[in-house]
Amino acid sequence: MLRYAAGRLLAALPVLAIVSLLSFGIVWIVPGDVAVEMAGPTATAEELARLRERLGLTRPWYEQLAGWYGALLRGDLGESILLRQGVAQAIVERLPVTLSLTFTALAIAFVCGTALGVLAAVRAGQAADRVAMGTALVGFSLPDFWLGLVFVYVFAVLLGWLPTGGYVPFSQDPAGWARSMLLPAAALALSQMGLFARMTRAAMLEVLRQDYVRTARAKGMPGWIVIGKHALRNALIPVVTVAGIAAGVLLGGAVVIESVFSLPGVGRLIVGAIQRRDYPVIQGGLLLTATIFVLVNLIVDLLYAALDPRIRHGRR
Amino acid sequence: MLTRRDLGLAAGAAALLPLAKPALAQGARGTVVMAQQAQPPSLDAQVTTAQASRNINLHVYETLFARDEAGNPQPDLAEGVDVSPDGLTYRFSLRDARFHNGKRMTSADVRASLQRYGRVGGSAFIMQPVEAIETPNATTVVVRLKEPSPGFIAGISSPRAPCAIIPEEEAGKDASRIEVIGTGPFRFLEFRPDSHVRLTRFGDYVQNTRYQGMDGFAGRKVANIENIMIRFVPEAGARTAGLQTGEMQILEAIAVPAAQRLRNDRNLVMHEMMPWSFQTLMLNHVQPPMDNPVFRRALQAALDLEEIMAISTDGLYRMTHGWQHPGTTYFAGDVGRPLYNINNKDRARALLREANYRNEEIIMLGDSSFSNHQATIVTAAEQLRSVGINVRTVITDWPTAFSQRTQRTGWHMWALMLGIEPYEGPYGVVGFFSGHQPVQHARDPVIDDCQRRLTTSLAEADRKRAVSDFQARMYDQAIAIKCGDVGIVQATRAQVRDYKPYRIPRMWGISLA
Repeated sequence: MLRYAAGRLLAALPVLAIVSLLSFGIVWIVPGDVAVEMAGPTATAEELARLRERLGLTRPWYEQLAGWYGALLRGDLGESILLRQGVAQAIVERLPVTLSLTFTALAIAFVCGTALGVLAAVRAGQAADRVAMGTALVGFSLPDFWLGLVFVYVFAVLLGWLPTGGYVPFSQDPAGWARSMLLPAAALALSQMGLFARMTRAAMLEVLRQDYVRTARAKGMPGWIVIGKHALRNALIPVVTVAGIAAGVLLGGAVVIESVFSLPGVGRLIVGAIQRRDYPVIQGGLLLTATIFVLVNLIVDLLYAALDPRIRHGRR
Repeated sequence: MLTRRDLGLAAGAAALLPLAKPALAQGARGTVVMAQQAQPPSLDAQVTTAQASRNINLHVYETLFARDEAGNPQPDLAEGVDVSPDGLTYRFSLRDARFHNGKRMTSADVRASLQRYGRVGGSAFIMQPVEAIETPNATTVVVRLKEPSPGFIAGISSPRAPCAIIPEEEAGKDASRIEVIGTGPFRFLEFRPDSHVRLTRFGDYVQNTRYQGMDGFAGRKVANIENIMIRFVPEAGARTAGLQTGEMQILEAIAVPAAQRLRNDRNLVMHEMMPWSFQTLMLNHVQPPMDNPVFRRALQAALDLEEIMAISTDGLYRMTHGWQHPGTTYFAGDVGRPLYNINNKDRARALLREANYRNEEIIMLGDSSFSNHQATIVTAAEQLRSVGINVRTVITDWPTAFSQRTQRTGWHMWALMLGIEPYEGPYGVVGFFSGHQPVQHARDPVIDDCQRRLTTSLAEADRKRAVSDFQARMYDQAIAIKCGDVGIVQATRAQVRDYKPYRIPRMWGISLA
């Protein structure tokens, strides 16, 4: 298992190297720079050139690329031009917000989606199935930013139950943290909940037709044990794989949701950096996002291998 | 006449007073939460022209002169100024002021701040005429100019990138590297990027007793609020929701449709500001066929500017032709008016024929970062197509569009909202179209001459004539197209008392009920 994990980790390194190169290339291709943000709309080309010089933006690309990789090897992601702080520090400060949002959403999506999927499979063809799959379809189809705004209107403006936005750190106030996370995580979770529900339903229907399930039922085992212990456990193997993809999608979706709910997370940091062309933050942020994505997929692969021994022994 | 009932109520109120006192004190001070769309790119007031920074910095920093409610320069940290008859020497006497670090402001701080502005300032050009800055004593600063610069006081009083007075010890530092220390009525506490800035009342603030009340960015600034939190909320709907729930008390701007929807909400007050900015279409004169003034006049004749304004502003606009706001010193009256908003398609087609237009592609550049810009380009493009002009719209984000417009090729027409520049007066507006790198990329000798007369004439009448000639030339040669004036709506909760809308939401002078 350890060897398998080490192999997968090594395989991730070239991916990250390519991502870092691409993130560097993208910011060089896209026109505009941070000087535009600082100088204002009526600045002349001369004023912009002076500002660029002062901000160190006039060095040739190959010098900056060499500097980027050199610093990266030392674990340094550079310094934000606008925030005047290290990119790594800026990301670390915001990471708890994004991870809170992503994993709370993942938990909501997984638990609710799986439950809906099981219900739909067990009651296949009945009204409960249609309601569950209809709910999943609606959740899957609605854009998360729209849902976010609707949630704000209903739960904050009309009912006054939850805040419209902002973030409360868990360490400061756990209840406040939960209140600040609930709406954005729910808005983010709904689309992936639909995905989990459909995957679970399909996997459960397949498993429920298996001989060992029929045998368990024939032995007189209670239905909830047959479904919960025998069927669901096996049906979850493909669903767990989807969890990796879902985590990546949620991480991407967090970018928008963080803006809707004014959450100071990594997504908002990167969006702001793109809008203002704060190159070091864009590069560092993209690299970090790719790293998290790779790590989550690695964890999923390891979980998959743990659930299904045929995978770690390469016998599938 | 007092009745027994009144006396009874008064007695009851007096009995409750000890209990109510802490609540009243808290109400009189309290915390105001203001929401704005963007976070500040810098809290170094001198270096950035961003509105998001201005909203914060003008509570913390002050300048020698500041603009009053009508946009005219008035003494702020200066008691006043004596200008020599030749216009070359400005002698500022300073009023008593303290920095947030407890230090008393002296002429050395002012000199160091002005010198730094010349190095890193967002409008550093205003210091170009300065030859020397002397400090004969602690409360006097003498600025000597190489040549007369009648716009000097206007420049140092502009809130665009304020020429803020900071402690001498900070003035040696590079852009955005300073500690946030000013002399303003509020001092800086905390900046949490992507979240908020916190300010608190500066207890040792020295009010400017020359004034009775607040007056633009000048006047007597009385801080009745203990704490200010400025939250960065990018989503307009979330800002509106925050105002409705009471999580936020002030919005720097609310979308016009939302303002209309909430107009009758008794908990909220909408404050309309007109004018806020100009909506314009800039033209690139070096890209054929735009190099031909007859073709540019065809565009001028083809456009229905009222339709553009109505669509791009959600209805909050004013049809005004002036390149200065009506009612201000340099407003040039009816000059150019007959050529404003002509909206005559036949005349446009005739001018196209006269210009020998051969269906060359016209690139119309806009950006989606500002909805007004995009809507202006899209609407104008349709109108130009209707008279037979071959138009291609290019909509990018703001940095891309801005970068493109600094190039001589790749665009013919560019939508831009000019906000702070017209508010500042004529110098920024005329300067935008003159000098070595005018926005239209081709120098116009008449406009250059207007700029020279504006920036060197000591008599105000001559400067006014220069602005009037500039406006005449703008219309006669169709240098650029002014579409109209755009307004904004600032919004507050009803509990915010004595709020007056202005270029930023001002937190001095207000109180919480």
